[in-house]
Amino acid sequence: MLEPLLGSKSSEKVLIFIEALGEGYAREISRFFGTALTPIQKQLDKLELGGILVSSSKGRTRIYTFNPRYPFLKELKVILDKALSFYPENERERLLMNRRRPRRRGKPL
Amino acid sequence: MKSIGKMTQAELATYVQAHLQKRGVTVILSGGAAVSIYTDNQYVSADIDLVDVNFVKRKKIIDAMEDIGFCETNRYFKHPDTRHIVEFPPGPLSVGDEPVRSINEVKFSTGILKVISPTDCVKDRLAAYYYWNDQQSLTQALLVAKYQRVGLTEIKRWSLSTGKKQEFQIFLKKHSKKGKSDAREGSTNVL
Repeated sequence: MLEPLLGSKSSEKVLIFIEALGEGYAREISRFFGTALTPIQKQLDKLELGGILVSSSKGRTRIYTFNPRYPFLKELKVILDKALSFYPENERERLLMNRRRPRRRGKPL
Repeated sequence: MKSIGKMTQAELATYVQAHLQKRGVTVILSGGAAVSIYTDNQYVSADIDLVDVNFVKRKKIIDAMEDIGFCETNRYFKHPDTRHIVEFPPGPLSVGDEPVRSINEVKFSTGILKVISPTDCVKDRLAAYYYWNDQQSLTQALLVAKYQRVGLTEIKRWSLSTGKKQEFQIFLKKHSKKGKSDAREGSTNVL
C-alpha cells in the first residue's frame, strides 16, 4: 500500500509492524509476514541508519523501535496508522492481537 | 598545522569540518563532542558526530574522509593516529521534532568550528533523558547548563511542546541546586 512512497514492500512491512506493536525484531517480522529474513534485516538496517528506528540488544536479539528523536515521527505515524486502517480486517487483527503479554517458559499452550 | 594524532577532539572536529566544507559538504557538530566543548571537557566523549545538513551522497563523504586518512568501518570513520571516531548521523539537524536554526562558531587552532548552540546542546541531551530516561544524558545537560549561558525559557518551551513537563521540572530542580552549591563554592561559568 505504501510501497510507492517508501520504495519497498519490506520497508512497509517493517514500519507497519513496529507501528502496530511498538517494537519488533527481524525474525519475528519476517515470520509474521511469511517473507524472507534478509530483506527485512536490510530494511531494519536502512531505517536505523536513516534515524527512523533505533535498536537495542536483549540477549542475542536486536529489538527495533521508532526513534523518538526522529523529527518526522509524528507525521510518519499518522500515515502508518492510516495505512493500517486500510489493511484487510484479518491482517489488522493479527497485527493488533499479536501476543505481547508474558508466557512462562515451557508452558504447553 | 598539527598532525591528526596531536589534535584534541575539538581541533580534529574543526579540521574535518573545514576539509569537508572545501569538498562542498557542510556538517555541524552535535552530540557528545559538543558537550565536551561546552563543559571544558568535564564530559569526555570519543565520538565526533557531524550532521550533514545538505544530505550529500554518502560516497562523497567517504571519498573526502579517505583523503585525510580516515577509513570507514561499520559506518564509523577511524584514523590510525587518533582514538577519536567520526560519525555522520542522518540529518536533518534537529532536536525533537524541531529544526536547529542557531549555530555557534567556536575558534580553535585548526579553524572555526560550527557547533549547535549550548541551548540546543542541552535540548539534545534532554531528548535522550526524556525519551529513554537516560541519566547520563541528564547529567550532561546539567553540565552544559552549568558551564554555559543557556536559554532556560526556550528549553522550557521546547520541553512542554514535547509533553515532558515533569521531566523538565526535575532538570530545573537539579540545575537550581547545582547553581546554589556552585555559588557557595565560588565557581564561575566559562566561555
